[in-house]
Amino acid sequence: MFFTCSLPTLRRAILAGLMFAVVVGLLAPCAQAADKLTIYSGRGERLIKPVLDAFTASTGIQIELLSSGTTELVNRLKAEGNHTSADLLITNDAGSLELARTAGLLRPLNMREVERAIPAQFRAPDNAWVGLSGRFWAVVYNTSLVKPDQVKSLLDLADPKWKDKIAIPNSGSEYLQAGVSVIRAIHGDEKTRQFLQGLKANADGQVYQKSSQIVDAVAKGQVALGIVNHYYIYRHLATQPNAPIAALMPDQFEGGMGAIMNVAGVGIIKSTKHLESAKLLVEFLVAHAGQKLFADLDKEYPLHPDVKADPALVERKSFRAALVPLTKLAELREPTLTLIEQVGLR
Amino acid sequence: MSTIRQQLASPLQLLALATAGLILLPLGYVTAQALSADPAVWIRLWSTRIPELLFNTVSLAASVAVVTLFLGVSTAWLVSRTEFPGRRMWEGALVLPLAMPTYVLAYVYSYLLGFDGPVEHLWQLLAGPQARIFSPHSYWGATLVMALDTFPFVYLLSRSALLSMNVSFEEVARASGASRLSTLWRVTLPLMRPSIAAGLALVILYVVSDFGAVSLLRYQTLTYAVFQQMTGRSDNTAASILSLLLVALALIFLITERWFRQRSRFYQTTGRYRAPQRQQYGWLGTVAITSYLGLIVAAAFVLPASLLIQWSLSPEAQATLDRRFFGFIWNSGLLAASAATGGVLIGLPLAYLASRRPTLLNVGCLQAAYAGYVLPGPVAALAVLVLFTQLAPVFYGSVLILIVAYVIHFLPAGLQSLEPALQQISPNLEEVSRTLGFGMRATWRRVTLPLIRNGFVVAWVLMFLQTMKELPATLLLRPVGFDTLAIRVWMEASEEYFQLAAPAALLIVLLSLPALALLVSKDWRAA
Repeated sequence: MFFTCSLPTLRRAILAGLMFAVVVGLLAPCAQAADKLTIYSGRGERLIKPVLDAFTASTGIQIELLSSGTTELVNRLKAEGNHTSADLLITNDAGSLELARTAGLLRPLNMREVERAIPAQFRAPDNAWVGLSGRFWAVVYNTSLVKPDQVKSLLDLADPKWKDKIAIPNSGSEYLQAGVSVIRAIHGDEKTRQFLQGLKANADGQVYQKSSQIVDAVAKGQVALGIVNHYYIYRHLATQPNAPIAALMPDQFEGGMGAIMNVAGVGIIKSTKHLESAKLLVEFLVAHAGQKLFADLDKEYPLHPDVKADPALVERKSFRAALVPLTKLAELREPTLTLIEQVGLR
Repeated sequence: MSTIRQQLASPLQLLALATAGLILLPLGYVTAQALSADPAVWIRLWSTRIPELLFNTVSLAASVAVVTLFLGVSTAWLVSRTEFPGRRMWEGALVLPLAMPTYVLAYVYSYLLGFDGPVEHLWQLLAGPQARIFSPHSYWGATLVMALDTFPFVYLLSRSALLSMNVSFEEVARASGASRLSTLWRVTLPLMRPSIAAGLALVILYVVSDFGAVSLLRYQTLTYAVFQQMTGRSDNTAASILSLLLVALALIFLITERWFRQRSRFYQTTGRYRAPQRQQYGWLGTVAITSYLGLIVAAAFVLPASLLIQWSLSPEAQATLDRRFFGFIWNSGLLAASAATGGVLIGLPLAYLASRRPTLLNVGCLQAAYAGYVLPGPVAALAVLVLFTQLAPVFYGSVLILIVAYVIHFLPAGLQSLEPALQQISPNLEEVSRTLGFGMRATWRRVTLPLIRNGFVVAWVLMFLQTMKELPATLLLRPVGFDTLAIRVWMEASEEYFQLAAPAALLIVLLSLPALALLVSKDWRAA
């Protein structure tokens, strides 16, 4: 009896409650707390979140993280203009940061901490973006299928003898685009085109969305070699020390172009309303403690000269990097994309 | 003249027009962007990507169609023309795969069939340690996953055709001396043809617009390519061109489906309905039928679901069930509820006007709302994105833009249950209410709305569910802090963290089950 009487009212109350919750839920994200930063991040969430969590733990500043593709986020920032809720942009590629800077999305920084910690070649001229960690194109190979002396240069990977034995990242990934830009800058368009055509034929269906999958495929012996950023190899080895894989830094011979380097970095968004907190985060990331996290957790090369890389990595001083300035990656991007599309990489 | 003015004057009419405009505008923008693109871009795409993408898309659709044709018709025939223990159970179980989003099935199969995976190990026991099976990341892998996921469409349509068919035709054939096989071939199947064709067109439409499975299986289709263009390039020209092609392709299949559905009316036979005789088989036959059906249901639902349960119970997965995870559930629920409510509110005037005042204009508005059918997720996202950046960049990155994309995308699913709900009430009831002295508004409130409530609820549930499972548009448009369950599944699964993806995937499947029951009893077409 009680129930039959109260059911309609109850239902109405529940409905009203739900609607209220929906409205509140929709509006809630708009309310900006003073000590909260919104970060657009083009890096894999599991690579950057621990570092940001450490920042929250030490400062109490909360972080709202949107993880997505770098190019996609730069597009989004352009479209959002001054209305964006983002305070910082973190990417996996210096070229994208430089493009964001030239599009006027980033705020030049005058911070002594940054200039002291990060060498000038890893920053924008006006410090609108700051490199945080270095990564290199490495060849990951299965130690039971390949001898390390079989590959001297990246260009060797286009050799038909590697047909169906190689895994590559998909052409949408910024680090592939940046790498191809470097090869173009050094070897010219025609040679790069031949390289890409050979690579495409050799990889065939083995085109992966994620670098971790490439390392996995090599470790299982599904393919013999792959092109990845070096830290994916060491991250895999850190969890599975017995995996039959190793890293190889290509193009180190006399006259070779050197390993292709890129940096992950950060920039503060021009329209940010939380400049002080944002600066605190940048400071945290370039300082000893932050740099050590990139080195220990992510197995990247820290850019701070006093912070050591993980001892498992190839000693940084033992190999050369290709001599193409990071800022140049931005202007190289468009023609690189055209070339990639002409070759028809996936 | 005056009638036109009268029509336009009605606020409901204006609302319907505005809605139709809102839905067609994004499509128009994408079309315009694609057509006004530099011819050099067209030429480049034609000479590099388009032939491959078209071939991949069409050949996947074709192979999935063939497999679902076989699976769907044979299972439908078994449950409606033979009698065996547990028949009613199997009748329901064959629908279960519809509760599995394609990306969940894809990720389970990329584990099962993967290099060095469990199936390969089994095979190596038989065929020697070096033996390899086909890779799931291939044409055949994509075919298998899509076919297992979509054959219930063909099954459901074929089954209802078999059940509603006038059995006298078959009896006449038998009486005239045709063998059982030849009756099936020359009478039953031709009578089922319209339903089968409609089911296949539905399957094909689904395959062509799928993003989740093909992206996880790395099989390049047009839909996947649109997504890649949008995320990898700084301008959307190439994405618009591919979208336009995709819309054209989807339109062809949609029209085919409608055409067959209309034609199927000619086959409706009158006469007293009598349940068809079900063939009984001996124990051998029963075992054969049961194992055939069991194999299909196991592959498409039971096996994946039990793997998801097993993975969800692993310590790695349990560790992810923190406050953040409940945030994802809340986001999914919130977005889905907003989109479903928005869809019902927008769909209602459209459906009402088209059924009560079926003028050319009103029917046109309703048809415009069906445009979502030919807008696969990434295209809907692109369309809304282009529209908002042109007209109202303020909303870029807000919840609104995502909800608009959902509504455009899923309105057809909602309309399919709103429309018949309205058509089923006779306008007489409303007229009676008016003559008895109720005003327009009171009639709506006290007569029309209560009568259409069921259709309303089904439409809401449908759109809620589809939004909850939606992947590409959410990936592209979600605002900060709006990761959903589907996003989590995709993010973890695309890095092959199978355990970590499992809890969210399992939750989606569980939430889909009750709604699936509702759909099967009402309108399952849009599942």
